[in-house]
Amino acid sequence: MSTIDTETRTSGGIAPVVETGTATGIAPVPETRAQRTRGAVRWQTRQAINFWLKWIMVILAYVFLHAPLIVVIGASFNGGGEYAAIEFPPVSPSIEWYFEIPVGQFESLGLSFALAALASLSAVVIGVPAALGLVRSNLPGKALIGIVFRSPLQIPAVVSGIAFLQMFYLIGDTTGFYAQGGFIGLAIGHIFIAIPYVVGTVVAVLQRFDHRLEEAALSLGASPWRTFRRVTLPVIMPGVYAGALYAFMVSFGDVPLSIFLTAPGYVTYPVELFSALENDFDPSILASGTLVILFCLVVMIVVQRVVGLDALLKIGGTGKGR
Amino acid sequence: MKDLSIKTLGAVTMVAASMALVAPAMADGKFDGVTLRIATWGGSNKAAIESTLVPKFEALGGEIEFVTGSPQANFAKLIAARGRAPFDVMEILDAQLPDFAKTDYLAKIDLSKVPNTKDVPDWSYNEMGMASWITQETICYDTEKFADLGISAPTTYKDLAVPALEGRLSIPDITSGGGLANFAAISYAAGGDLKNVQPGLDLIKELNVLKFWSRGGETVTQFGTGDIYAAIVHAGWCVRAKKAGHPVQTVHPVIGDMAVGVQKYGRLGIMKSSKNYEAALWYVNEFIGFDNQFALATNTGVFPTNIKVAAKLADDPVLKQMLALDPAETGKQLRIDYTDADISAWVDQWTRAIVTN
Repeated sequence: MSTIDTETRTSGGIAPVVETGTATGIAPVPETRAQRTRGAVRWQTRQAINFWLKWIMVILAYVFLHAPLIVVIGASFNGGGEYAAIEFPPVSPSIEWYFEIPVGQFESLGLSFALAALASLSAVVIGVPAALGLVRSNLPGKALIGIVFRSPLQIPAVVSGIAFLQMFYLIGDTTGFYAQGGFIGLAIGHIFIAIPYVVGTVVAVLQRFDHRLEEAALSLGASPWRTFRRVTLPVIMPGVYAGALYAFMVSFGDVPLSIFLTAPGYVTYPVELFSALENDFDPSILASGTLVILFCLVVMIVVQRVVGLDALLKIGGTGKGR
Repeated sequence: MKDLSIKTLGAVTMVAASMALVAPAMADGKFDGVTLRIATWGGSNKAAIESTLVPKFEALGGEIEFVTGSPQANFAKLIAARGRAPFDVMEILDAQLPDFAKTDYLAKIDLSKVPNTKDVPDWSYNEMGMASWITQETICYDTEKFADLGISAPTTYKDLAVPALEGRLSIPDITSGGGLANFAAISYAAGGDLKNVQPGLDLIKELNVLKFWSRGGETVTQFGTGDIYAAIVHAGWCVRAKKAGHPVQTVHPVIGDMAVGVQKYGRLGIMKSSKNYEAALWYVNEFIGFDNQFALATNTGVFPTNIKVAAKLADDPVLKQMLALDPAETGKQLRIDYTDADISAWVDQWTRAIVTN
């Protein structure tokens, strides 16, 4: 038996779909006021449930993402002397561990920031032209070149670390310049793992790029370089920002590659923490981790104020599909 | 004002120059300009060495730098660098000795220049390495929880396989520092041996473990949160749990009729590629000396190789309670000889039996 549904408007807004009759020739039974009220209540209840479910999901997602950070921050304020363990919530609140952070960790932090900044900047300088070439050129073997640019993502970082170490020894034996165990060696390794992120995001933007924008600029007399600078670059900029941000994060957090290229005086922050944790647990690690979390938070707020995180993360920007 | 600044600058420069001239003369100068690089763990291990050996070496005109990382990571670096190590001295685990024996990376130690060998047991050194520390692998248990549950103190690994302890145990993962020694001991205790570890795997499955720890420090936290009532872990971690205020006690497990307790040990090796051989010998000798061994034992809970330090530890009430200090007791403890062990096969079997089930 098929039904005929109608939508009835009530004073409270759009009412739910209510079954009011049949297609069998039997006259529809007029809907009573009570029925209409019940339907509206059901609809409102459903809306309320949807609303709260949505919020519960959002809150759960936030808790899942941030609970580890909250535990780290909370536990860093737990005192308890030399033999303290991770206690959350803190049982004897104290800031003693903030005064126990080894100087070496701050030095490592400085090195990691410098490396990550250099790696993301270099990845942009190499990655943007590479992406342009991959999307717009008619090079033979373009697909193969694309695979080469993506390969750092496919090779486990630990393998890359060993490969770089051996390569540096090989180059050193030939030229007398050994890059391992210094800033240059670390920088080369980090740039290597950072490039695919910039190439990936910029390629994604370029593939959706509206070429008519460039054609318009060129037809109005702009030079190719001016067109690139004033039209292409602003459109692909969100992709560049996003790629640089990912590159920074990957470089800053890297352990498996860096562990092979570090040496005394050139130990990155994650390797410093990893090495300390391999032997035992020192709560000052929680304190320095908290400082890094807070620093990142401040950076995010500044970026949001100055550039806008939306602009950073909205890959594709204003480019529209053809 | 300008004159004053110039005068001050001049005075500071003269003082600095005088200090620069006098300082080397004040030092012994035996290792002037030598930078010795040591591959070892970070954390409290490095801190203990920094408090004892670094000042002594600096007084001789040299400098010590640390390449921090686990012996496994440093061995990987060594292989990748084809033996040209970025360090002079390296900590090696007992389980790595067969791998090192296949390589040509270690220099022979001139034992005549390591006089502190008079204070360490004969088994602990030879020309290829010097035992630097020992851990006593134990069952660490929460005495209050055991009392509440009406369970008596365990004496064997099998004693942990009771329903009341299901999901309340933490034991080392095979890839962790203590994993191989404890797995071998459990296998012996269950009736197997180094060639047949299946009985050990069966016993581990019977234990119904909550967590296979990758770092011993995790167990201290787990005792604190009440998640576990017992752990298989080296005594040093139980010492730390005790000093953190948890009611724990160690047991040196009976392993059939062959041993009571298990030991794991580390060794110092001098790299063949080292250009600082004499300084490396100095380091090895001082490492097994009283001061450094005492600092290591009291800071990290490891058992010293220096027998004079072992006797001294009896003065510490917690260490006395947790470690076996009597030579008659330590002499009964099992040390694994990994020469005939196929560790890759162990890991494979572990992965199939424990990880995938």
